[in-house]
Amino acid sequence: MHNENENEVLLKVDHLCQHFKFTKAVDDVSFEIRKGEAFGLVGESGCGKTTTGRSIIKLYNITSGDIYFKGIRIGAGIRSYQEAIKQANEDLKAGKITREVRDSIVAENNKKIAEAKYDQNNCDKEYSKKLVAECKAKYEPLIAAAAGEEKQALKKEFANELRKAKKTRLVTQIQMIFQDPIASLDPRMTVREIISEGLIIQGERDKKVIDKKVYEMLEMVGLVAEHAGRYPHEFSGGQRQRIGVARSIIMEPSLIIADEPVSALDVSIQAQVINLLNDLREKLGLTILFIAHDLSVVKYFSDRIGVMYFGKMVELAPSDELFRNPLHPYTRALLSAIPLPDPKYEKQRKRIVYNPLAEHDYSVDKPSFREITPGHFVHCNDAEFAKYQEIIK
Amino acid sequence: MEKKLSVKDLTISFRTTNGKVQAVRGIDFDLNKGETLAIVGESGSGKSVTSKAILGILAGNSIVEGGEIIYDGKDLLKISEEDFHKIRGDKIAMIFQDPMSSLNPIVRIGRQLTEAMLLKGKARQKESKINFNTTLAKLNTAMAEAIAKDDAAKAKVLEEKCKNFDKFEYKHIELESAWNVAHEAAIEAHSEADSLIFEIEKNAANDVKYRLNEIKKDALESIHENVVNANKDEVTAAANALLSTYAAQKKSGDLTPLLPLLTTIRDYTGAAVDYPAPNFFALGYFHTFSGGAELPKLPVDELNVYLRKYLDDNFMLSFIADAKQGLMLSAEKAYAAKEQAISALKANRDVFCADSLDKKAALDAHKKMSEAVNASIDRLELIKDSFAYTFEVGVKAEIEKYFASIAKNAKEEARYAKEQAKYERMVAAGKSPDWKVKPAAVTSLEQVKKNILNQIDRLVEHYERALENRYTRDFDKETVAMIDYLKENASGVVHKVTPDMAKHRAIKLMEEVGIKEPRKRFKQYPFEFSGGMRQRIVIAIALAADPDILICDEPTTALDVTIQSQILELINDLKRERQLSIIFITHDLGVVANMADRIAVMYAGKIVEYGTAEDIFYDSRHPYTWALLSSMPDLDTEEKLDAIPGTPPNMIYPPKGDAFAARNKYAMVIDFEEQPPMFKVEESDTHYAATWLLHPDAPKVAPPKIVTDRIARMQGMGGSDNA
Repeated sequence: MHNENENEVLLKVDHLCQHFKFTKAVDDVSFEIRKGEAFGLVGESGCGKTTTGRSIIKLYNITSGDIYFKGIRIGAGIRSYQEAIKQANEDLKAGKITREVRDSIVAENNKKIAEAKYDQNNCDKEYSKKLVAECKAKYEPLIAAAAGEEKQALKKEFANELRKAKKTRLVTQIQMIFQDPIASLDPRMTVREIISEGLIIQGERDKKVIDKKVYEMLEMVGLVAEHAGRYPHEFSGGQRQRIGVARSIIMEPSLIIADEPVSALDVSIQAQVINLLNDLREKLGLTILFIAHDLSVVKYFSDRIGVMYFGKMVELAPSDELFRNPLHPYTRALLSAIPLPDPKYEKQRKRIVYNPLAEHDYSVDKPSFREITPGHFVHCNDAEFAKYQEIIK
Repeated sequence: MEKKLSVKDLTISFRTTNGKVQAVRGIDFDLNKGETLAIVGESGSGKSVTSKAILGILAGNSIVEGGEIIYDGKDLLKISEEDFHKIRGDKIAMIFQDPMSSLNPIVRIGRQLTEAMLLKGKARQKESKINFNTTLAKLNTAMAEAIAKDDAAKAKVLEEKCKNFDKFEYKHIELESAWNVAHEAAIEAHSEADSLIFEIEKNAANDVKYRLNEIKKDALESIHENVVNANKDEVTAAANALLSTYAAQKKSGDLTPLLPLLTTIRDYTGAAVDYPAPNFFALGYFHTFSGGAELPKLPVDELNVYLRKYLDDNFMLSFIADAKQGLMLSAEKAYAAKEQAISALKANRDVFCADSLDKKAALDAHKKMSEAVNASIDRLELIKDSFAYTFEVGVKAEIEKYFASIAKNAKEEARYAKEQAKYERMVAAGKSPDWKVKPAAVTSLEQVKKNILNQIDRLVEHYERALENRYTRDFDKETVAMIDYLKENASGVVHKVTPDMAKHRAIKLMEEVGIKEPRKRFKQYPFEFSGGMRQRIVIAIALAADPDILICDEPTTALDVTIQSQILELINDLKRERQLSIIFITHDLGVVANMADRIAVMYAGKIVEYGTAEDIFYDSRHPYTWALLSSMPDLDTEEKLDAIPGTPPNMIYPPKGDAFAARNKYAMVIDFEEQPPMFKVEESDTHYAATWLLHPDAPKVAPPKIVTDRIARMQGMGGSDNA
């Protein structure tokens, strides 16, 4: 389970904010996911972990911040730039800056807004343009060189590939597995239709290719080809979740966002699905963003873990390090609440209560996200930073 | 230990279009008072069906094939829907898996929370009144019979005593409820003031005006002779100044001038919280019968001693002596009746041994036996004798079933013969029919007869044992228990729940289950809550009813760890405080370790292993328990998880042998052929498992490494045996 591509960053979330009317669901969250790793996101319900996942896959338009996938900006918000302009206007009124400075700030931010808007809306178009160009570059010389029947076949293949390239979206390389395996499968579609839907949308029309891929995927997730003709209600919970997994991996994604994939399953089935995800990770070299509230499962599954609390990322560390040296009081509270299968241990387990008002004094000294030791980040202010460094020594 | 609930040989099936699904196949367990029994198993193992049967809410297509669920002298499988209304939600409450199905979408949360409290408050008052009056009347009769014999004057004296008891009981309650209100208000004022002070210091207070109002109300309410007394003037002054100070400071936003006022309230109410309660029972007597004598000025401790002595000397000791005689006579009579009942039971038993029963004779015998048994019940016994109480309905139901089945069986067999013939004709004609013949659902008449005989034999044996033990009973203790029971019911009579109190309690409960801003949330509708929040509301509603038995069906599965932990602690606290009995259904063994006193592991409708929490976690014997334990990761698991292969069996055609055999890597040949009985684990008195591995001739198999490793590892972490 060690990742070989230590340095290649697959997904970068930079100061992501997602505000709904009055709720700051996600507030200034930054993290990176490296290629091949499993990144766990934990926190209580309503802390914004699911919203983070959904923002990444562009189910929401983000409020501010940037999301980079494979180095390309796929999501960008504009609130921070708007605020900068507002601030500049106020400063001008108060006489803190001159009009020239204000104008340059406004112009700069307006440009950024335009760029962000363009990236937000057009990253997929840019990507498919690139694919189309690549496709053309590959086939045009071949077609020119070929003759007769071979030329016809190539032309047909070219048309097919070109159509697919035009329809391919960058974001389809990020796929999602949902929590509820019953609600996330359309009861009126057969398993074949469910699994192949993505492929068809992407422009694949060859029935044989589709069937072959569907069977391959079914086999990969531990089902058999004859299941393809059945409907979801004929399967047990664990099998349904496998169908959900098959549906996402058929798109050959590089990143899978697994939003509580085992929470709704029985223990014995949970183990089956976790083992399956682990096997697929090794086989396909997947990167997984694993969102869950069951800390034992997250610990078992993830290489690095981010802990969220009320829209903020409060601690981020490699999973062993996090469990060995939890620094943020919320992380400690969270870890102290994990139930373990041992009655005597359980009867003496003391839960730590986290009360942000009592723990932190942020009235003067404002907190930020800082690195305590390499790879171990905590949301803290100067005084706490010193304290945590002391603890970790 | 007092048994609260006992389930015996419960068998439940469901009719479906494909055939009969056997959901629960003969399970037995007992639930003691103040104990948590955990039922663990996969979905489809029958654990939810069991709990629904206890609550009488099985789906319409269910068939209860046999068994009994005995609660408070009643068989819950046989009582009418009317009677069930008094039990469901009130005595036995349930927290459901899916919160949305137990909330009304068009009623505000607040109303749903307080509804039960208000309704139940009234019902409980009524019930307590009935209990109190009937029990006292019965006691009076028994006492009169025992002591006065035919002497009318003596009987009059006794009646007077009982009346007096009634009278000063009421006084006692008046005093006590007044004190309770004040004391609770003091607790509230103290904690509210404390948290508000903290928040003002941190400059993070919100909702201040409302809270100040509450504090003011509570502080003023807490003024009482035995609560806030010495400093009542300071507290009143501070409480009255709160709102005007706030109004003056509202503009500037600086709330610090409130601090000294709040501190005054906090300190004085805080001191009052720890004051001991006077002995209201005795105080009530003093006020009623001392004829206006002055109450000596003493500290509460000494006052209690004084009052106690006063009560004992003047009334209680003689009352107890009389009551004891009454109880003894009642018991004596019951024993005589029991002897007669035994002979009646034995005499009529033969009727049910016949090859085929005669309807008239059977009903006649039933009537005779029931009369004898009903006469033998000691109505003054507080712990009801469930065998005797359920005898009449139990036997009656079986007899009716017997005669109804004769006709039904004939019909079923005819249908089966017809369909089978058709099937064979088709096969003979070379077709392969795409349907199967549904096997005839025949009720075994022999089994019904056996059930009847069992009930009779069981009662006879039970009575014989009771007769043997008749001289070891401690009537002093029982008399005291009786008086406590009367006291308890009397306080139930005056304990009134007003809408205001209900709202207050509801908001407190919402806070307890971790809902932020409960006052705002109180007015919202269920759809405005997230899944976890809804579950908390459901838990709060179940707890609001203050039940006797609480059934929790996967209550925390959808919640995250911190809230899960909070709610489990809450349930545990309630269990301790109110001697609540809990049935806890879950598939998460981590949760069970925290909660359970005893654990039953279920698979395919049967209990496969049964024992205390220690037995199951440290010394499990059934391969299914091993599989459950090893399929979940803990914080130190690195190796691949040991998933259980396959899925549970189809319960329309349950396997012939052990249901788990097909998924079991330790399965032996016999597992596929014969169902294992419950073996008792030799080293323990409480531990049972249904696996052939415990048979003396079976090979010795050690539990999987992942399980033993974990136990060893937990020892290092302060678990297991490092005490």
